[in-house]
This record gives sequence, C-alpha cells and structure tokens, in this order.
Amino acid sequence: MDAERVEPTPSTAWLIGLAAWFLPGSGHLLLRKWGRAALMGGAVWVCFLVGLAMGGHLFYVNMEGATSFLQWPVVIQIPPMAADVGSGIPYIVCWLLDFGFRDDPAQAARATYEYGTTFLLIAGLLNYLTMLDAFDIAAGRKS
Amino acid sequence: MALFAALAAIVFGAISKETPRERWIYGVKVFAEFMVIGLVLGWLLRFIP
Repeated sequence: MDAERVEPTPSTAWLIGLAAWFLPGSGHLLLRKWGRAALMGGAVWVCFLVGLAMGGHLFYVNMEGATSFLQWPVVIQIPPMAADVGSGIPYIVCWLLDFGFRDDPAQAARATYEYGTTFLLIAGLLNYLTMLDAFDIAAGRKS
Repeated sequence: MALFAALAAIVFGAISKETPRERWIYGVKVFAEFMVIGLVLGWLLRFIP
C-alpha cells in the first residue's frame, strides 16, 4: 500500500518567504518574476508610503499602564500590530525612527488620519499575501 | 478609495487564477466590486445619523 507522497518544502522557499516579508517585492525578484515583483511589491510600497503621507498611525504593543499581556487594552493592540508588521522593513525603519507611532492629537485630527491608518494596515496584509505567493512559487506549488 | 481598490485589486489579481487574461479579468472585477460596494455603503451611511 502506497502512502501519499509528501514533497518536502525546499529550504530556499522559506528563505524567499522571509525575504519577501522583509523587503516587499524582493521574494519575486529573487524568483525572477519581474512583473509580479513590480506589481505586488510596488502595490505594497505605494500603499505604505501613501498611508504614511496621509498621517496614518502605526501600531505596536504599548504596555504603558498595563501589568500583563492579557489585559484588554494590550490584547486589542495585537491584531493591528500584526497587520502593520507585515510590511517588513518599512515598519522596522519607522519603528527605529519613531515615525508614525506616537499618539499625537494633531496627527489624529488630520482628515486623512483614518484613511492613512487603513492604508498602513492594508499594506502589511497585502505583503503577507505577496509573501505567501512567493513562498508557494519557490516551493513549486504554483507557477 | 479608488487608489485603495486599485492596489488591493493588483495584489488579488496577481495571486489568483492561472492565465494572465484570467488575472486581468479577476483584478478588474475586484476593483469594480470594491468601488461599487464602497459607494453603496457610503450612500447608505449618509442616511444614518
């Protein structure tokens, strides 16, 4: 009786997936999928930069005033942070420069603040899709 | 909203379907759906105080 053969995932697929997350578009560039890299990576970059230009807010888990991770004000920050982290290096650079993370009332008063925040969240989520696409191509699951 | 719809449609179109033609059609469909649903919701919310 033959068991169903499961092809192991090549280690390069994991590296390409990691690269695709870290630098949007780079996964497809490594796979020499130039068109996809330009379209998908470009969409993520444009989405992120437009979000920042609109004065959007980036999320991180702020433990100020909380005593544990399980408190609601902390827990509620995890999903948007997970979405923002998906952007990879742009998120990390903004975090290092402390740009877009502050709870600034003047920034929040901008008419485009909510739109910008949504663009930043969507940039991260789109990059997760881009990363999975690059991973699947590298693993030979799609062309 | 149009920019948002276009960016999302590009990624959705690129990751789905098999042929470039099917991807184009799906991307345009996703873009149209985002726009139509956005406009309909916008008008509906206008009447909610």
